[in-house]
Amino acid sequence: MSSVTLSDVEKYYGPLRVVHGINLEIESQEFVVLVGPSGCGKSTTLRMIAGLEEISSGTVSVDEKIINRVAPKDRDVAMVFQNYALYPHLKVFENIAFGLRIRKEPKDHIDKTVREVSEILGLTPYLDRRPAELSGGQRQRVAMGRAIVRHPKVFLFDEPLSNLDAQLRTQMRAEIKRLHKRLGVTSVYVTHDQVEAMTLADRIVVMNDGNIEQVGTPMELFMNPANRFVAGFIGSPPMNQFEGTLTANADGLFANVGNASIALPEINNVQHGQAVVVGIRPEHISIHPVDNLPSIPISLDLVEPLGSEALLHASIDNQPLIIKAETHGDIEHLKAVTELFAPTDLIKVFDKETGAVINSHPTGRIAS
Amino acid sequence: MIWLSDHVRNEWRLYLMLLPTIIWFIVFLYKPMYGLQIAFKDYSIFKGVAKSPWIGWEHFQSLFTNDQFLRAVSNTIKISALNLLFGFPAPIILALMFNEVLHAGYKRAAQTIVYLPHFISSVIIAGIVITAFSPSVGIVNTVLGWLGFDSVYFLTKPEWFRPIFVGTGIWQEAGFGSIVFLAAIAGVNPSLYESAVVDGASRWQMMWKITLPSILPTIIIMLIIRIGNIMEVSFELIILLYQPATYETADVVNTFVYRQGLQSGQYDFAAAAGLFNAVVAFVLVMVANTLSRRYSRTSLW
Repeated sequence: MSSVTLSDVEKYYGPLRVVHGINLEIESQEFVVLVGPSGCGKSTTLRMIAGLEEISSGTVSVDEKIINRVAPKDRDVAMVFQNYALYPHLKVFENIAFGLRIRKEPKDHIDKTVREVSEILGLTPYLDRRPAELSGGQRQRVAMGRAIVRHPKVFLFDEPLSNLDAQLRTQMRAEIKRLHKRLGVTSVYVTHDQVEAMTLADRIVVMNDGNIEQVGTPMELFMNPANRFVAGFIGSPPMNQFEGTLTANADGLFANVGNASIALPEINNVQHGQAVVVGIRPEHISIHPVDNLPSIPISLDLVEPLGSEALLHASIDNQPLIIKAETHGDIEHLKAVTELFAPTDLIKVFDKETGAVINSHPTGRIAS
Repeated sequence: MIWLSDHVRNEWRLYLMLLPTIIWFIVFLYKPMYGLQIAFKDYSIFKGVAKSPWIGWEHFQSLFTNDQFLRAVSNTIKISALNLLFGFPAPIILALMFNEVLHAGYKRAAQTIVYLPHFISSVIIAGIVITAFSPSVGIVNTVLGWLGFDSVYFLTKPEWFRPIFVGTGIWQEAGFGSIVFLAAIAGVNPSLYESAVVDGASRWQMMWKITLPSILPTIIIMLIIRIGNIMEVSFELIILLYQPATYETADVVNTFVYRQGLQSGQYDFAAAAGLFNAVVAFVLVMVANTLSRRYSRTSLW
């Protein structure tokens, strides 16, 4: 199995820099997801690993061997494309066998490998069909079959599930995860869907404007975002963020958000009156009184029931916020909510100017 | 159910736009069909189409005992077969070649150059060909002279007429004809190529295994149209290039009809020859379409 290393990788299209010198170590057998909004450079990065885009500067290595000048076919990578990239004139068998035929593998080997892979992916009954005669999920499986059949060192996935409906996406996500467990091949997966990233990744790489914002396990990113961008990107709904100013008194550190006062964890090197952004996840907010926590008044706009949970759309000092609360089978009691309680330990404080987190400790108070 | 009159009332603007084409079809294609009946009549311009007496299949019987007509049918088929064999693949090959040119400026220039002959009138094309093959000043004979060969008056040699004619057709139309195939190539999903690159396919393999199969439906449609036109050899160019010395290989049904009808005034006999030509063309296009639908699931209708 193989590791992938990106060192100071840049990509220019003419004068336009789309990838800004990124560094990333992907360990052997790891499943890394590159996630970010459209145009953040994640697909370009993946395509540079595949060899479909030239690397403007920096190096990409597989197993410590620099592959910048190695042709895509010799990189021993396999890629699954967003729109499947299946050959419409070839049957499923021939689609899966394509890479092996191109490499002039012996016929019986091709036959054996394709049938093995089809068995793994549940495609055996469809080998004689053309792509047009398959469902979206089956086509996606064929696309994966084409990648698996070559036994590559690295799998590259470019938004492979974005053409599927929500239900099928959930199903295929689980299949990809199972497949990775079974095959243990180093995988790089690009998506703009943070749910896909959270559920699939060993580590997530959050990208924005051609830069890596943060690299970490899904829970690291969820619990301890490095900046406001990551906080706003990871999580569904994303972290609530309110602008406020710091004040301190005998009871501790607070952020004044309009008339409301939010108790903060202790933080070093901050100044009284400093402009900050307070972040709290919708699932961490309580609508029931919690010991020692000050009540924060809110004005409720809307309750969106999701079943066992509901999303409460509200505001503090005209700054919007979302609370995720349990319904216990009824949402009427949620419509009367007028205050919230924010557990101090789970609050993140960001510098208003730079957007960087000030209290980077994942949980717990920081001693003064 | 929507009645036609309701549809016309609602969509009258669309019908208005369709009108010129309908008029064109009626005036130039359907109305002349009325005159087709003279193929079965002893036509006299003084009596007119309606009053000329019916004579049944007499003209057709004469046609099939007329050596010149049989020679024209044979020439039409031979020239069309050569056209199909060499002229049909030429624009496909050209389109595939253009697709492989990476330098955008060079590609544009090359495309413009090969499209140009299409926009030149057949009279000028024939003039260029006649000059190029002239035994005294033609470039072809000049080059042959440099190589130590005697001058050949190509356009008077029956054996040279078909290669020159087919070659001229390719030169004139292959470039323009490649546009439709280039458009089909442009419609091929780019990730098919990227996927093939990662799989290790060479450009040659991609051309054979991706581009060609992807544009096959377009090729088949164009082939059906071509087969439908097999009896319609480029009439103007033949008239301009042939001469009595080359009738043996150059005279086709259309030129035969032209000579019989307009030059000799045998309108009824010429109409019979033209009708025969049209019926054969109709049968051919039906057969080609049916075969194509059955075997490749692609058809014109």
